[in-house]
Amino acid sequence: MNTIIAQPEKSFKQNMGYALRKYTTVFHVSIANNLAYMGEVVFRTIFLVVFVYVFLQLWTATFAAKGIHSLSGFRISDMVWYLATTETIALSLPQLTRLIDQEVRSGQLAYLLGRPCSYVFYHYAQYLGGRLVRLVINAAVAFIVAMLFVGPPPFSWMGLLVWPLVVFLAISIDFAVYFSIGLLAFWTEETTPFFLIVNRLALVLGGVLAPLEVLPQPIRGLAQVLPFSAVLYGPARTLVHFELDHFIGLLVQQFITLAIGSLVLFVLYRIATRRVNINGG
Amino acid sequence: MLIINTFVRTLRFIGAYTVANVQAAMEYRISFWVQIFTMAANDSLWLFFWWTYFHQFPLVHGWQNNDIVVIWAVTACAFGIAMGFFGNSPKLAALIMNGGLDAYLGMPRYVLLHVCVSASDPTAWGDIIFAVGAFLLFLHPDLLHFALYVLMALSGALIFTSFVVIICSLAFFLGNTEGLAQQLLGTLITFSTYPMNIFSGTVRLLLFTVIPAGFISFVPLQLLHQFSWLLLAALFGFTTLIVFVAMGVFHLGLRRYESGNLLGMQG
Repeated sequence: MNTIIAQPEKSFKQNMGYALRKYTTVFHVSIANNLAYMGEVVFRTIFLVVFVYVFLQLWTATFAAKGIHSLSGFRISDMVWYLATTETIALSLPQLTRLIDQEVRSGQLAYLLGRPCSYVFYHYAQYLGGRLVRLVINAAVAFIVAMLFVGPPPFSWMGLLVWPLVVFLAISIDFAVYFSIGLLAFWTEETTPFFLIVNRLALVLGGVLAPLEVLPQPIRGLAQVLPFSAVLYGPARTLVHFELDHFIGLLVQQFITLAIGSLVLFVLYRIATRRVNINGG
Repeated sequence: MLIINTFVRTLRFIGAYTVANVQAAMEYRISFWVQIFTMAANDSLWLFFWWTYFHQFPLVHGWQNNDIVVIWAVTACAFGIAMGFFGNSPKLAALIMNGGLDAYLGMPRYVLLHVCVSASDPTAWGDIIFAVGAFLLFLHPDLLHFALYVLMALSGALIFTSFVVIICSLAFFLGNTEGLAQQLLGTLITFSTYPMNIFSGTVRLLLFTVIPAGFISFVPLQLLHQFSWLLLAALFGFTTLIVFVAMGVFHLGLRRYESGNLLGMQG
């Protein structure tokens, strides 16, 4: 009797343990795969260096033209460190939408659906591994470049401590958004336009180039009411100008955005997989 | 006469390929128009951002409010023409690496041109529509200024294409340079869309030589502000030079090319 009752409980724990080990392995394999192409990952940082340099020049010219030393509490060095942080996150985004799009169009999805793991979580683990490698390399290059250009960072210990958490939530939101766009390949001829629009909106209104406080109206007003800032502006501001109130507000915004994004993803996935026909052969 | 005939034949060849490429892209009609519309919307979003930015934080050194519109209109049109007519050029590095040039080497047409025109990026037409639209809408040019704008966009397109050919041809000597080529093209586009006033010294020198962003947006901006035959000659001189350098580097590399015995269909 005891065995019968205990069995399902143990089995559930075992299943959870197996699942965790399974996706952890996918995560590790993804890291190893990305490390195998280190040259490509390093090449990608050229763009980051160019961006930081261009913006340093732009901010220097802007501050000189206005005759000011800080703007909304941000000095030039804060601006550069802010930009280095947002670019570290933004440029670490892998081509997730294209991958899902191709898997749907080529029919490779059918092979993956047959595996003993969730298609969504398999890709999430793979995505996290790839993004982690890019994040670390980007962060290292951005740190060196910003350090050379404007000196030591204005980071606080609290900011440094909570940054990994807000970045993890930010890249999880990215996953929900870009995976969902990839799934649109079930219904549309091309998903690139959707990716392009969402990605550009996220860059412009997400505060990748400058903190939202500094942006001119009406862009600032628009950016403050949209959820894009939870991915780039929020984490970067937390690191550069940590404020407890802002951090708590960001966490709430990130959890709500992630919950809605995940809901949309799973509803889309559920509807999409009903359209899949697998024929043996 | 022979030169004119060759020029006309080449233009007809480019035109025929472009029509075929557009027809192929229009196989998926909705997707084609959505891509064009999206790219035009994307460019408009960036222009709106930078226009409001420079309106609030104007630069000194003769910077005018509408200059950002000129920079974006010239760069987007040049890039659009380059990718619309010579849209296969960014794939040159991959073709070199995979032995994909085999399909072109046996053809009677000039190899480099044939490779470049054999694909077209549908989003490029969105860039062109945005650029011409923004130029006409915000700057209200007279016919002469519009003709000058078109001429400079064509020159910029040749610079973009030649630059892409040069960096992709490095694959003949260095192996896989696809990632490097993408990054350098991104760098050229980035430098072309920001005011040259903010750069000085060595960087400015680099922007007129190694990464020729100055000839894509800054020189056209100066020419539209105040026309000068000397500056126009410098622009055309540099364009001619970079086209010949691209052809030279490609041919130098082609001697090292090894066939992959790749079987392929070339429509």
